[in-house]
Amino acid sequence: MKAPTAWSLLRSEPVSASSEMKAGCLLALVGLLIVGGEAAAHEVAAVKADFKAPAPGTYRLERIMASPDGRVVDSDRKRGQLSAYTRDKVTLLSLMYTACSDEKGCPLAFYTLDMIKRELEASPGARGRVRLVSLSFDPEHDTPDVMRAYGGGHAKSAKDGRTVPWHFLTTASKNDVAPLLDGFGQDVSRPSREEDRRPGDLSHVLKVFLIDRSGWVREVYSASYLVPQVVVNDVKTLLIEDGVALN
Amino acid sequence: MLKSTMRDRALRGALAAALLATIAVFGAPQASADETCNSPFMSNLIKGQEDYVYVWTLGAQGVGDGSDKLVTIDVNPGSARYGKVIHSVSVLRRGEAHHMGFTEDRRFLWAGGLDDSRIYIFDVYSNPARPRLVRTLEDLPETTGLVGPHTFYAMPGRMLVQFLSNSNDHGGVTGMAVFTNKGDLIRTYPMPAGDGGDGYGYDIGINPQKNALLTSSFAGWNNYMMDLGKLVQDAEAMKRFGNTMVLWDLKSMQPQKIFSVPGSPLEIRWSLNEGDNWAVVATALTSKIWLIKQDAAGEWQAKDVATIGDPSQIPLPVDISIAANGKGLWVNTFMDGKTRYFDLSDPGKPQQTYEKVTGKQVNMVSQSWDGTRVYITSSLLANWDKKGENDEQFLRAFNWDGKELTLAFEVDFYKERLGRAHHMKFGTNAIKAAYEGADGVVAAQE
Repeated sequence: MKAPTAWSLLRSEPVSASSEMKAGCLLALVGLLIVGGEAAAHEVAAVKADFKAPAPGTYRLERIMASPDGRVVDSDRKRGQLSAYTRDKVTLLSLMYTACSDEKGCPLAFYTLDMIKRELEASPGARGRVRLVSLSFDPEHDTPDVMRAYGGGHAKSAKDGRTVPWHFLTTASKNDVAPLLDGFGQDVSRPSREEDRRPGDLSHVLKVFLIDRSGWVREVYSASYLVPQVVVNDVKTLLIEDGVALN
Repeated sequence: MLKSTMRDRALRGALAAALLATIAVFGAPQASADETCNSPFMSNLIKGQEDYVYVWTLGAQGVGDGSDKLVTIDVNPGSARYGKVIHSVSVLRRGEAHHMGFTEDRRFLWAGGLDDSRIYIFDVYSNPARPRLVRTLEDLPETTGLVGPHTFYAMPGRMLVQFLSNSNDHGGVTGMAVFTNKGDLIRTYPMPAGDGGDGYGYDIGINPQKNALLTSSFAGWNNYMMDLGKLVQDAEAMKRFGNTMVLWDLKSMQPQKIFSVPGSPLEIRWSLNEGDNWAVVATALTSKIWLIKQDAAGEWQAKDVATIGDPSQIPLPVDISIAANGKGLWVNTFMDGKTRYFDLSDPGKPQQTYEKVTGKQVNMVSQSWDGTRVYITSSLLANWDKKGENDEQFLRAFNWDGKELTLAFEVDFYKERLGRAHHMKFGTNAIKAAYEGADGVVAAQE
């Protein structure tokens, strides 16, 4: 398969902060990928769902596993422990790599987290109590500078303390990221045949982790169930569990 | 027209960064092959040629080591070992090997024993040709109160397991349990009893887009471990089969509706077409196909929509396999050894269009994603399989051209000293761990 030569993005309507965001909506974000001179359209859109998400606080989120800890590097090249980003707030953590171009992979996670961030920022109870984290598992390519560029305005807003912060983290080496992947149960694969391999081609199940204030993973979302309203309600369920008044 | 906001710019920046970083990359590589019955949460369902079929095989006394084992068969026509057994892993005991299921990342294959209630976790990604046992869960009756782990269903980051029985009386009242992918118990869920529920369980089927989890119902240890000849003569025991299906709210894991589906509804197959809102199931004892579908008002309903063979002869439909496009359904009936094809173009009116005797006894049926290859195995349960010369044990691979099943190869599981061939899962060589470790777990490699 030939390499893409260009992306252009078309959106049918601006993505707005949507207190009316509903499972079932399909906000179109279309990436046009031109492959070898032939155009092929790929959509990056919120996961479609045809149901009404259960209301926050009406169900239980189980303690699935303890989130792992290990060494990370933030987008300002500052070294630290991952636990600094997975404790004391409700955290949505996405394991990703910036080179991922699978429309049901990392771009979907980015797009969905962007929607969720705005939804949560519209909820006074969430401010100061929720954070987002994108953690790369491709340290060779995803340097702090690449992560900062990837995060764009979101990476800058992580420092202002007024919004739901979004941290863009990487690691210094495969040695540092491997135990984190093992701890989260995140697969990362590549084509087994040398001739099928290209630089940076990693395959993985898209996973976003919901982590409570104590560092327990309480939900795991993959591409089939990364429904924005479900995720928002899960976050609010944990906030209710913490005694936060949401309205 | 794009409205240029900071967020939009950030989003475009992110995707542009993805492009720049992937000059030579086009997406995550697709695994190349898959049954249509796997969890929708599984990544990259294999849509090309499968390389291997894994067969979870019941040990048979006097056959080989007599133990349950995971058998690997090379099924790629391009391989020099095509149609051959290339590997087997014995678990060194006989515990009524039955069904299997992959974790959502296809790295691990869980396999259960209905008698000893053990769950075996095999690493199938470090070397797909040579699966390796990495963990055994041994104390499930004590930790869960449940017996007979049957269905292993991938969910994000965890496995949902449907049991058939309980440790109290070995009857049919049972539950589900959810585990981390590494095998640590998270919690259990009882099957609903009362208000129309019989508390029984069998299979799991999830439609994420509908937030819908369906379960079906079979029988407890007392029944499935009894000799079939004795069982059918035991009027009281014959009353102890499941007659219900349950619709659950997937998010809250709460039962929403209980359907009366008489005659032990077994395997559940959702249509895989995006937007479809229906599933089918076959009932073992009444020989029917039932449709579970939302009506015009959005209410879920269950309806008997077709008959399989002559129910008075109890052909015993035991497994079904739905086409990837939802337009067809293979049905295996154990007693008459037939493999039947139903046209599902109108799921409300399935029509049988083909049948063939594929063995003296047949149980599981799995089709490739493109529908051109159909695999069949022979064993139902150790004490229910036929006796004497009718006790054939095999995997048979067929090619399907839309009109006729043509035998491609077969493996005689008795001749190969393996045992009774039961559940099948497809394997692939297409991908391997990026950061490989010697123990099969992702580990550092500089």
